[in-house]
Amino acid sequence: MTKIGLEIHCQLTKLESKLFCSCKADYRSLDINTNICPVCIGLPGSLPLLNKNAVEKAAMISIALGCKTPPKIAFFRKNYFYPDLPKNFQITQYNAYGPTSIGSDGKVLIEDKEIRVRRIQLEEDPGRLVYEGTSEKTLLTLIDYNRAGTPLVEIVTEPDFETPKQVRLFLNVLADLVENLGVSDPSLEGALRVDGNISIDKGNRVEIKNVGSFKDIEKALHFEITRQQSLAERGIPIPAETRHWDEARKITVSARSKEEEQDYRYFLEADIPWVLIDSSVIDKLKKNMPESIYSKKERYIKKYGIPLQVAEVLSSDKFYSDLFEQAHNEKNAKEIANIITTDLKGFADTKEQREQLKLTPKHLADLADAIMNNIITRNSGKLALQEIVKSGKPLSEIISSLDLGHVDDKSSLSKIIDDVFSEEEKAVSEAKLNPDTINYLVGKVMRKTKGKADPALTLDIIKKKLDSK
Amino acid sequence: MNLGITATQYLEQIKNGSLTVEEFISKTMERINKVEPSIHAYISLNNDAISQAKQIDKKLKAKENVGSCLGMPISIKDNICTKGMKTTCASKMLENFVAPYDATVISNLKSQDAIIIGKTNLDEFAMGISTEFSYFGPSRNPWNTDYVPGGSSGGSAVSVSALECIASLGSDTGGSVRNPASFCSVVGLKPTYGLVSRYGLISYANSIEQVGPMARTVEDTAFILNIISGIDQHDNTTIDKGKVDYTKELDVGVEGKRIGIISEMIGEGVDKQVAAATSKAISKLQTLGAECNEVSLDSVKFSVATYYTIAATEAGSNLARYDNIRYGFDFDVEGYEFNAYISKARKNFGPEVTRRMILGSFVPSAGYVGKYFLKALKVRSKIKSEIEQAFKKFDLLIAPTSPVLPFKIGEKVDDPLSLYLLDINTIVANLSGIPAISIPYEMTNGLPIGIQFFANSMQEKTLLQAAYALEKTTNLPGVPI
Amino acid sequence: MVKREEIVHAANLIKIDLKDHEKYIEQVEKILNYFDILDNASAESESFVTQEMSLDKLRDDKYVPFDEKLITQLKNYKGTFVKAPKMI
Ligand SMILES: [Zn+2]
Repeated sequence: MTKIGLEIHCQLTKLESKLFCSCKADYRSLDINTNICPVCIGLPGSLPLLNKNAVEKAAMISIALGCKTPPKIAFFRKNYFYPDLPKNFQITQYNAYGPTSIGSDGKVLIEDKEIRVRRIQLEEDPGRLVYEGTSEKTLLTLIDYNRAGTPLVEIVTEPDFETPKQVRLFLNVLADLVENLGVSDPSLEGALRVDGNISIDKGNRVEIKNVGSFKDIEKALHFEITRQQSLAERGIPIPAETRHWDEARKITVSARSKEEEQDYRYFLEADIPWVLIDSSVIDKLKKNMPESIYSKKERYIKKYGIPLQVAEVLSSDKFYSDLFEQAHNEKNAKEIANIITTDLKGFADTKEQREQLKLTPKHLADLADAIMNNIITRNSGKLALQEIVKSGKPLSEIISSLDLGHVDDKSSLSKIIDDVFSEEEKAVSEAKLNPDTINYLVGKVMRKTKGKADPALTLDIIKKKLDSK
Repeated sequence: MNLGITATQYLEQIKNGSLTVEEFISKTMERINKVEPSIHAYISLNNDAISQAKQIDKKLKAKENVGSCLGMPISIKDNICTKGMKTTCASKMLENFVAPYDATVISNLKSQDAIIIGKTNLDEFAMGISTEFSYFGPSRNPWNTDYVPGGSSGGSAVSVSALECIASLGSDTGGSVRNPASFCSVVGLKPTYGLVSRYGLISYANSIEQVGPMARTVEDTAFILNIISGIDQHDNTTIDKGKVDYTKELDVGVEGKRIGIISEMIGEGVDKQVAAATSKAISKLQTLGAECNEVSLDSVKFSVATYYTIAATEAGSNLARYDNIRYGFDFDVEGYEFNAYISKARKNFGPEVTRRMILGSFVPSAGYVGKYFLKALKVRSKIKSEIEQAFKKFDLLIAPTSPVLPFKIGEKVDDPLSLYLLDINTIVANLSGIPAISIPYEMTNGLPIGIQFFANSMQEKTLLQAAYALEKTTNLPGVPI
Repeated sequence: MVKREEIVHAANLIKIDLKDHEKYIEQVEKILNYFDILDNASAESESFVTQEMSLDKLRDDKYVPFDEKLITQLKNYKGTFVKAPKMI
C-alpha cells in the first residue's frame, strides 16, 4: 500500500510585519536587502519579538483544521548552518516537552478519506539564495534577506494519503481554506510550498524536497511511485533517503547523504517566553473567524436554493463569495450566484483580471435586479457585465449607452417579427409544418434586436402569427 | 582633583558648581592614559567624551534640563552594543563590528546624560573568570598587576577600581559581574532575571544572564540600577518592576533580618582567609541584629555541571551566527565552499570559546541530550525549588563571592575544569534567576575578598539594604595604582 | 564512556575544525566525565524552568521600517546581495 504524508509551508501573507521584527511581511517586489533590520539578519544583541497577530492567524488555521491548541505555546531553536539562515538556527516549534506547538491532532475529510494532521507549527522563513555560476559549478552564493523572518505556518500530516490525486484534492482544499480564513494568498509565488514523504508496500520512507509548486508535487509523487515500484519488482531494496525534485528534468534525485546525518539539537528559545493561549483566546478567535467554506456552501443551498454545483464554486472561492455576500439580498441571491459563477467567471479567472476588475457589489445587485424585473434580458446582462468590468460605469448608464433596454412593447416587436417573416419565407413555411424549427425564427428576431427582445414574448407572438397564417 | 569620589559626591559637586563635567572627564581621560598600560581595562575609548562633557556643561550653565547622571563617566563591557562605537566581545570574530543601534541599557544611560567613557575588556564572549581569554590580551588586577582581575567583566571591575570611571555595566551569566567585583574590591550586582533588558547585550547564555551595575559603593550601584531596570518593549523576557527607587531607604539596617549561610559555599574548597573573612562578616551582621543560621542547598554540588551544560548549549547556538559572512574580520569568501569557509573562519575563536562550542554541541546532541542537557534542565529546576524553600525561612542568603583569592595571571589558564569549579558560589543565582550582590569586605596580603548576598526574586531592595549595612562596617584602603 | 569520534562529530556539527586541536578533545572528555555527576542528582521528577507571558502582551502586527540602510554596514556584499561561499 502506498502511504504519503505531507509537510506544507504556508506563509501568512496577510500580515503587516515579520514574525519576530517590524519589517514588512510582504517582501515581494522590494529591492534586494532593503527589508531588513538587526533582528531578521541576526545582528549580535538583537532579540526576537513575537508578532501577536501571527500567533492568532496560526491558531485560526489550527482550529479550521480541527487541531487541538495547547494552553501554552513554546518556541524552539533548530540548529543547523545554512547561508539563508542569518542566525544559523531557525526559530520554530517542536513538541519535545508535550504538545507546545500551535496545533496538533487535527483531521480533514477528502472524499470520505480522513487525513490526520499531526502538527501545526509557527516558524520563520529563511532568506532567499541565488547561486552564481552554472548549475553544475556554483562560484558564489548570493543572499537576499528580505524574506528572512517572514511568518510561516508548517502543517504536517500523517502518512494517510494513498494516491497523488488525494494529495491534490487536499492541497486544493487547503489553499481555499487559508484564503477564506484571510491568512494567506495562495496565488502568490512561494506562499504555499509542499514537501512529501512516500513509501510503497513495506518499503522505506523517502522524503521529497524542493518541490516548487502544488502541480509538481503530484508529478513528483507519481514519479516516485513508479521508481519505487520498479525497484521493488526487481527485488532491489528502497533506501530511506531524501530526494530532491528536479523541476527541469521532472524527476527526483537523491540528495547528498550528508543531509541524513543532521542533528538539529532542538532546545527551548528562552528569548520568547511561553505564550498563554487560554480558552477565552480560542473562543474569541472562533467567534471572529470567517465562516468556513463548508458552512457557506450549506447556507447557500438551504437558504437561497442555490444549486449544489453553483454553491460549491461560489463558497470555495473567497473572491466570489465575498462579492456575493456584499451584493445579495433574499430575493436576488440566486440570480447573483448565477451571474458570478457563469458570466463573471470568464472576466475574473486570474489574479491580474481580478485586480483590474471595475465591478462593485452594487453593479451585481443592479444587474440581477434589472434581469429579474425584465428591464434587460439575460443576454443583454452579459453585454452589460462585459462593459461594467472594463469601465465600472453605473448599469443605468451602460443600458442607455449600449441601447440594451428590453424590447417588450408588443407593437414594435410585432413589426420586427413581420419583417423577419418576409425575409425568411422558407423558414416560416417550414415552421408551420414542424414547430421544432421555430427557434430559428426566434434567433433571427434576437439578432435583429441585438438580444433585447423578451424571448418568451417573442415566441408567443411568432406562434400566434404562424397560427393565423 | 579626586577621581575616587562616589557617584553621589560627583552629582553634588557638579550641582554646586565646584566641578565641571569637562574637568572631570578630562582628568579621567588623563588617568586612563596613564594607568592603561599597566592594567588594560579598556578595549576602546570614546573620542567624543570631552565634547559631550562640554555640551552638558553648556546645558547646565543655561539651566536647561539635564539627565540625572550629569555627565558622569560610565564604562561599558564590550559585549553591550553601543551605536557608532565598536562592540567586539573581545573576539577576533567581531573585531570590526559596529552595532547600528544602542542596547536599551545604553539608551537609558544616554537619556540620563551619562557619558560612555569607553568599552571594557572581557573574556571572549564573556566566557571565563579571569579576563585572560580576551583576544586583545588580559586585564590586570589594580591591587597587584601580577594577578587576574576576575572575569568575565574584568575590564569593567578594573576601570571602576582604578578610578578610570565612576561606574560600569558588566554582564553576569555565571558570576561575571560579582567575581571581578570581588577580585577588584568593587560592588557588583546581578539583578533578577528579567529586571534589566538584554536588548543589545550580545547573548552568551540567554536564559540566565543579566546586565549588572558595578560601582564603588552600594548606593552608587542602586543609582545605576534605577536607570537601567524596568520593562523594555524590545525584550519580551523583561518584567515590570513597579514603582521602586533602589536608592531610597538603603539605611534601614539588618535588624531582625533572617540570613541563611549557605553550607555548601563555606566548607570544602574554600580558601582559609576567605572563610575567615566570611565568618567575620557574619559576626558583624549578628552584631547589627541579624539572625544568621546555616542552610544547606543540597543541589549546589551539581550546579557547576548544570551551569556549564546549559550555558554551553545556549552558547553553541548563540554563537552559531559568527560565520564571518555578514560581519567579522577580512577574509574573502570567494573560492571557498560554505562549510570549509566557516570552519576556517571559526578557527579564530579563542580556546575557551572553542571548548564551549564543542561541549555545547555535544551535550544536546542526539545520543546525549537525555544524559546531559535534559538532566541539567531538571537539576536547574531542582536548584530553583531548593532556593525557593530557603527563602521561606530566610530573607537573605550569604556566602563568599569566590571560594578563592585572586590568582596569578597564567596560573590556571590551561586547566579549564579547575576554572569552572571556581564558579560554584555564584552560578546558583543565575540558574535560579534570583538577584545577588558582591561587596568588598577585606584585604588579605593586598588582595581583595568580597562577600555575597542573595535575595529572593525581585527583592533587590532588601539585597541592597543588607549590602549597605555590611558596607558601613568596612574600612578599606585606596587603590595602590 | 564518550568516544572521541563523537566529540569530533559534535565539533563538526558546530563548524569547529579540530585539526591540530587534539588537546581540546582531551579537555572536553575530562569535562564531560565531570558532568557525569549529574547522574547522581535524582531530579527525574522535576520539570523545566520557563517564563510565561499572555498573548495580549505580544508585539502588535505593525510595519515599522528600520531607520538605516543596513546593507551598507555589512561586509562581503556584491551589488546589493550579501556574498557567501559557494554550496557544492
Ligand atoms: Zn527585520
